[in-house]
Amino acid sequence: MRVALIFSCAVPAAAQDGAGARVAETFARPAFAELQKTAAAAELEIGALCTMPSAEALTKARGAFAELVPAWGKASVLRFGPLADEHRMERIYFWPDPRGIALRQVQATIAGEDESATSSENLAQKSAALQGLPALEFALYGSGADDLAGGATAYRCRFAEAIAGNIASIADELLAGWADGTDFTGAFTAPAADTEPYRSAGEVDSEIVRALSTQLRFMHEAQLLPALGADIGKARGKRAPLWRSELTFALVTAQLDGVRDLMNAAGYESIIPEETSWVPGAILFEIGTARAALDGVEITPADAFADETARDKIEFAGLTIESAAANITEKLAAALGLIVGFNALDGD
Amino acid sequence: MATHLASIDRRTFLALAASACVAPAAPSTSLGHPRSPTGDDGPLFLGARLNHGGHEVAVIDEYGSDRLVLPVPARGHSFAIDAVRRRAVAFGRAPGRFAVAFDIDGGSKPHAIAPPADRHFFGHGAFTPDGRWLLATENDYEAGRGAVGIYDAGKGFARIGEIASGGIGPHEVVLLGDGRTLCVANGGIQTHPDYGGQKLNLDTMQPGLAYIDCETGDLTEQAFLAPALNQLSIRHLAVDAQGTVWFGCQYQGEPAQRPPLIGRHRRGREPELFAGPGETLKAMNNFVGSVALDVSGEIVATSSPLGGLIAFWDAATGRHLGHRELADGCGVAPLERHHVLATSGRGAVTDLTPGSTAHIVEPAPDTPAWDNHLRRIG
Repeated sequence: MRVALIFSCAVPAAAQDGAGARVAETFARPAFAELQKTAAAAELEIGALCTMPSAEALTKARGAFAELVPAWGKASVLRFGPLADEHRMERIYFWPDPRGIALRQVQATIAGEDESATSSENLAQKSAALQGLPALEFALYGSGADDLAGGATAYRCRFAEAIAGNIASIADELLAGWADGTDFTGAFTAPAADTEPYRSAGEVDSEIVRALSTQLRFMHEAQLLPALGADIGKARGKRAPLWRSELTFALVTAQLDGVRDLMNAAGYESIIPEETSWVPGAILFEIGTARAALDGVEITPADAFADETARDKIEFAGLTIESAAANITEKLAAALGLIVGFNALDGD
Repeated sequence: MATHLASIDRRTFLALAASACVAPAAPSTSLGHPRSPTGDDGPLFLGARLNHGGHEVAVIDEYGSDRLVLPVPARGHSFAIDAVRRRAVAFGRAPGRFAVAFDIDGGSKPHAIAPPADRHFFGHGAFTPDGRWLLATENDYEAGRGAVGIYDAGKGFARIGEIASGGIGPHEVVLLGDGRTLCVANGGIQTHPDYGGQKLNLDTMQPGLAYIDCETGDLTEQAFLAPALNQLSIRHLAVDAQGTVWFGCQYQGEPAQRPPLIGRHRRGREPELFAGPGETLKAMNNFVGSVALDVSGEIVATSSPLGGLIAFWDAATGRHLGHRELADGCGVAPLERHHVLATSGRGAVTDLTPGSTAHIVEPAPDTPAWDNHLRRIG
């Protein structure tokens, strides 16, 4: 493929591709729009539950939460730019939380019926642990949540509604941050010597590559490993995120989908040199393998980590995720002409 | 699974350690080194590196030639040095499960040191001046607090206890000129091996410097940055000619913010921070990997592998003196007056001043990739 070789020699891939523009258009905006839509829908359903409590309304509210979680899972790979600003990442998803801060704060808020936590505007000024999905999950699924159907827990319901509203507001801000005309979007989609925070296509590619690998490592280290423990005797399913709603694996598989979609949106397979053109496909294969393994887990997250069969699948998914992360930092980065230094890669 | 390794297999490690080899005394010219006279009593430098897939620690001379190469089971980080007895301890990189004591001149067999099962090394340490005690920064991760482990060099490096580091995530520790006060950089970041490399307390971190009397274990002074800079993790330290502690930071906050990354602390005062020129600060990308003084103690060198540069600072005033580019450069150590020796992940061994760059070993794909730190002895 002589043309491809000339192309790749004459113009460094990183300076040529428009990965940032493609990612903004085909992945970031749709992903954050979906987050906004599902958060607003959850706010609406929880609002309906608060107004007219019933078992059916609670089921609908929980159903809306179950739509919101994968929307977040997908979008959360974009952990740079607007999501890194204003602590938005932590505010939507306060995790990892090894000391159980969210649980303590949410329980105290519900017990104390802190009225200021029932408006999303006020909530945005409070602890990140109270603002996002773990807090909302406890409100909808934690101990005492079944009473929401009977209307005996009006405060808890309004608090949950405010959390969903807050997530929708943050999603609005994320969409605004990714809209045309912001400094961030300008630099990300059309990097130039005078744009900030990216001054070249290579810097944009570096950001994307870093986001892909960081998300994969986060999934494994922060979400799966703590629950797996050193051995099956030390497995603690309740250390996994969103175990109460049994959405742990829905979250993780959506995160894998986000990694896949971000890679596809970047379109790297069409711009990297032929001799390394297998790299994106190999990474996507690993991501698909991990997803299939997790899809095969058929018992609840609280039990799965200590169940021999399910545990094997989770461990296998974890190793595959790690391998994909390593292939991204090593092989994909190299294929894109990004030389990631031994020291720069993983400083200490 | 690596993150759950309680300790390394001692037999494997000892086998590796026993295979330490002293480099040939004859000058090596294969890498184009200028010269490496035998019997030279010049300074030596210690660094960890990756060599064709294998992890090792190496002692090199000022010409970049290997004097001693010691295989280690995983990535190494920094060293405690007992210059009088010409002994050093190489630490594994955090979460480090091994350290190895060795004779710098290769005279005796290396000795493996493991932290207790519920601690890991952070990769830095120091000897007391009498060479008796090895002090190592460690993570008491179940309690979520930092410790300085105390090992008796006279008893096979048996661990005889620990003292509190005065914070979370102690990283580099240095001994001050009085021979008894330790200064510990408590980076402030909580980690736990169950969570891999994830940082668990970015919202509440409180980095600081802790001064500890290592004879009594008393915490004699602590210094903290302004509350707005609570996500500026203080990681690396060096002491200047006046006995002032210089520190390099890694910022954990929003990437768009560019807080100063270099500071100094004089006992009894507030820490001072030095930003340098905006372009240099931006290039450092919120990350300083290593800090060293020149031989005179007048010039501070700070590396940023993310920025591919080494920046120089006047120790008397904090004035930025310039920077030199060195791709993936991180290790820095005193070389001569106003000169430092720097190493890079691309294999470079380089003589740097604020205004000059002279490669002693050129970066090349086949050369060993130097890891974060370089230390000098002699």
